[in-house]
Amino acid sequence: MQQQDRGDADHHDGTADAAPGGYGDRRRPGELAFALTMVAGSAVLVWNAYGISGFSSMSSAGAVPLALTAVMALSALVIALQTLRRRRVATETLVRDILPPMVIVLGLGLLAFGLLLEPLGFVPTAALFLVGAIRILARCRWRVALSVGLGSLLVIWLVFRLVFTVLLPPGLLPEAELIGALRALMGGA
Amino acid sequence: METLLAFLTIFTQPELLLLVGLGTFAGVYVGAIPGLSVTMAVSILISFTFSWPVYPAIALMIGIYMGGVYGGSRTAILLNIPGAPSAIATAMDGYPMAQRGEAGEAIGITTVMSFLGGFVGIAVLALAAPYVSDFALTFQPRDYMLLAVLGILLVGSLSSGSLIKGIFAGALGLVIGCVGMDPLTFDERFTFGVPLLQSGISFIAVMIGMFGVSEALLQLHHLQAPVVRQKIDRIVPHWSSLRRHLPLSLQSSTIGVLIGALPGTGGDIAALMAYDHAKRVTRNPSRSFGTGAIEGLVAPESANNAAVGGAFIPMMTLGIPGDAVTAIMIGALYIHGLNPGPMLMVDQPGMFWFIVGALVMANVFILIFGLTGIRIFTKIVEIPRAFLIPLILLLSIVGAYAVNNAVTDVYWMLGFGLLGYFMRHYGYPLGPVILGVILSRLLDDNWRRAIISERGDLGAFFGGLFSSPLSTVLLLVIVAIFVSQTPLPRLLAARLHRHRAA
Repeated sequence: MQQQDRGDADHHDGTADAAPGGYGDRRRPGELAFALTMVAGSAVLVWNAYGISGFSSMSSAGAVPLALTAVMALSALVIALQTLRRRRVATETLVRDILPPMVIVLGLGLLAFGLLLEPLGFVPTAALFLVGAIRILARCRWRVALSVGLGSLLVIWLVFRLVFTVLLPPGLLPEAELIGALRALMGGA
Repeated sequence: METLLAFLTIFTQPELLLLVGLGTFAGVYVGAIPGLSVTMAVSILISFTFSWPVYPAIALMIGIYMGGVYGGSRTAILLNIPGAPSAIATAMDGYPMAQRGEAGEAIGITTVMSFLGGFVGIAVLALAAPYVSDFALTFQPRDYMLLAVLGILLVGSLSSGSLIKGIFAGALGLVIGCVGMDPLTFDERFTFGVPLLQSGISFIAVMIGMFGVSEALLQLHHLQAPVVRQKIDRIVPHWSSLRRHLPLSLQSSTIGVLIGALPGTGGDIAALMAYDHAKRVTRNPSRSFGTGAIEGLVAPESANNAAVGGAFIPMMTLGIPGDAVTAIMIGALYIHGLNPGPMLMVDQPGMFWFIVGALVMANVFILIFGLTGIRIFTKIVEIPRAFLIPLILLLSIVGAYAVNNAVTDVYWMLGFGLLGYFMRHYGYPLGPVILGVILSRLLDDNWRRAIISERGDLGAFFGGLFSSPLSTVLLLVIVAIFVSQTPLPRLLAARLHRHRAA
């Protein structure tokens, strides 16, 4: 697809899965490093696939993985060579256009979410994450962040815990007692 | 009689009807809110409906899917941001109409045409699928293998324009699908000695990461984008306008359903082809194309909704998805213990007719929700991204965790989210990855069946490819896709041109 048809003239970042980003003829900051990482990763996978059953037979467990990883490695190599030949986009920088601090902060926030999910439980972890993320992203007052964050968490918890019956780590929250009380309240009404 | 009963299930059970309605409503809004997409919504939702009985879960997801395909057109018209790949063509004339203050008319005509196109697609699905399914029973394992390769190649080459990146993405998806114990020999594949990897990587974690997390992270680049205030007045289109565009709508629907029915091609290609068709056949457009011609809306919108019915044909009869969204729908069917493919129609014909019924109902809801509730709509689409992004990420985490109750899946989701984030930045299409993950097992199983039936003789396998017309055609199409991406066709054309000139 032509660049001008994508509707994101400023950042060629593939916003929405409607269109992948990138430029047709130039390389973005970090693109070569990414392409080379893919080559290295594919090479490791080829080696691993060879280790499954080698070239023992065409119908062995390792035949399809070996063929697929070979395709991966070969295409990654071609992409890396193509990327190498392209001129870099002069107007973009890695920090501003590809990996701004906000993305790193939120990525770390997600990692922390994963780490705290089981020890703290879903509700306290989600509350910390939501309020913190809204405060940072919207640059709003604590009062707004707290009310929007906790309000939406309450709705999400009620919908997913009660309607979708999704099991979430209770952690610090006495969830079973709370649900029991809620059910009793609704049953009694 | 049983067929009729299965078809009517959705209409006779208020709970299911409500779920389709709810799904469609949510789909329309998810599709219409910038930063949310139908692929994201369906992939997150799969995990939440995991524990449900199959009928309610499918009813909800079909609603979201149909609503989302339609809803994507709204952001295309109002903001020039296609909410779904299938709405790219809609933006070309829809946005200029909105700029002229005709957003209401554009949305109205889009809604009715989506409804019409949707019905054409569903009708063709209902009529053709049983025959395709019968035909598919005669397919050899090698044909399935070729179809899987063809599907991934088509999605890869058509969505990004860079075939090689599409091939890489498709192969990556297929490799992800191989991780874990081999189901036939119990050999470990890509486990690196880690016991946790023996049961494979949850494809839901991959989907949510690629379509939920990566998209939410990308939206951080657009935090400062101003919230656009919508001004929409009359939305119900004039009868005369509908009557005038009916022939074009039916032609475009036919294109849509045919393109949608090809494995690997979905609503996006159908919409672009229909738009091109409208440009060629419309002698006196309301305005010139690209500046707000109603014909430029009628064609792609009829086609992309007709393509939904079309895309369900290979999905239900062959188990091969048309695009990323249908790949996720196949994932949803797998999760609920259904096995899309020719045997589905033999083993559970009731399920097929239930899905047809749900599609019909979702289509009716599109018309209802599309033409009403504009006031709520304008409020909902104005929600700032700074509030939306943390919520999407939270839902993604809950979704990834919910399927296996494992934090590991949250880490997988995060990892694939980051990978998807960089892939999007650098122009690697994500559709083939998901298609690859879904089709990995089908490809592997059928390759092994095919090669075992030839007693491991590669020569006999290739000989077999030319002994059946279907295999030969599929192979030739695959070769043609490869050749079309090399300089060869251009060189040949130039040579022919020189020859003619001489």
